[in-house]
Amino acid sequence: MKEITAIIRRDKLPETKKALEDLGFPSLSIQSVDGRGKQRGMVCNNDLDPDLPESFCTPAKLKPTPATYALVHALPTVALFVPKRMLTMVVPDDLVTKIVKSIISVNKTGKTGDGKIFVSPIENAIRVRTSETGGEAIA
Amino acid sequence: MKMIRAFIRPEKEQEVVQALEGAGFPSLTKMPVFGRGKQKGLQVGPVHYDELPKMLVMMVVKDGDVDRVVNLMMDKSRTGFVGDGKIFISPVEAAYTVRTGEAAL
Repeated sequence: MKEITAIIRRDKLPETKKALEDLGFPSLSIQSVDGRGKQRGMVCNNDLDPDLPESFCTPAKLKPTPATYALVHALPTVALFVPKRMLTMVVPDDLVTKIVKSIISVNKTGKTGDGKIFVSPIENAIRVRTSETGGEAIA
Repeated sequence: MKMIRAFIRPEKEQEVVQALEGAGFPSLTKMPVFGRGKQKGLQVGPVHYDELPKMLVMMVVKDGDVDRVVNLMMDKSRTGFVGDGKIFISPVEAAYTVRTGEAAL
């Protein structure tokens, strides 16, 4: 068993869910998180998130000297963290590549902020209702 | 690669993030969570707080960087009082960048 953690754009969530459903793997947990990548922070624009809340955008920091005063107002606002959706699913070993590929194909826009996918091992899974363990629990 | 999940005080989050950024680890995901530790929450006079707000900071780093990141986090989020949080490290087998489709951090 493997755990797939995918951190994706908020507006791609319905499409991703649909794609996973079509693969025959509809079970997943969704969480709202804030994140950023190696770009540290990004300029607020439509590429980042079409309806980014105001509170995530902060003006770029510059020392207010007479020389930079006019510049400060002309600078774009930056988002230090961007709201994302984190999907977590535990899948059988043989399905991992298929699911990762489908998540990538749905979420790929080619712009920064598309997200990351992590695959990590899971030792055991238990279904609470029936106390089945292992592969049966996630089947 | 390893996944580091740190449950830290919400008020220490900014300090930790800035320290990590300064050390060259800007990528992270954070989410607010509620939890308790072995002290079963917090007792303030007659009032008992069962679940306390924490910030969960999650990041995936290369094996060699784990010690450095964990030490930095501990340094910055320690106050010496109960409730400083926990850090968990778990293995990650593969990481993909969605934008490029490559299997790389």
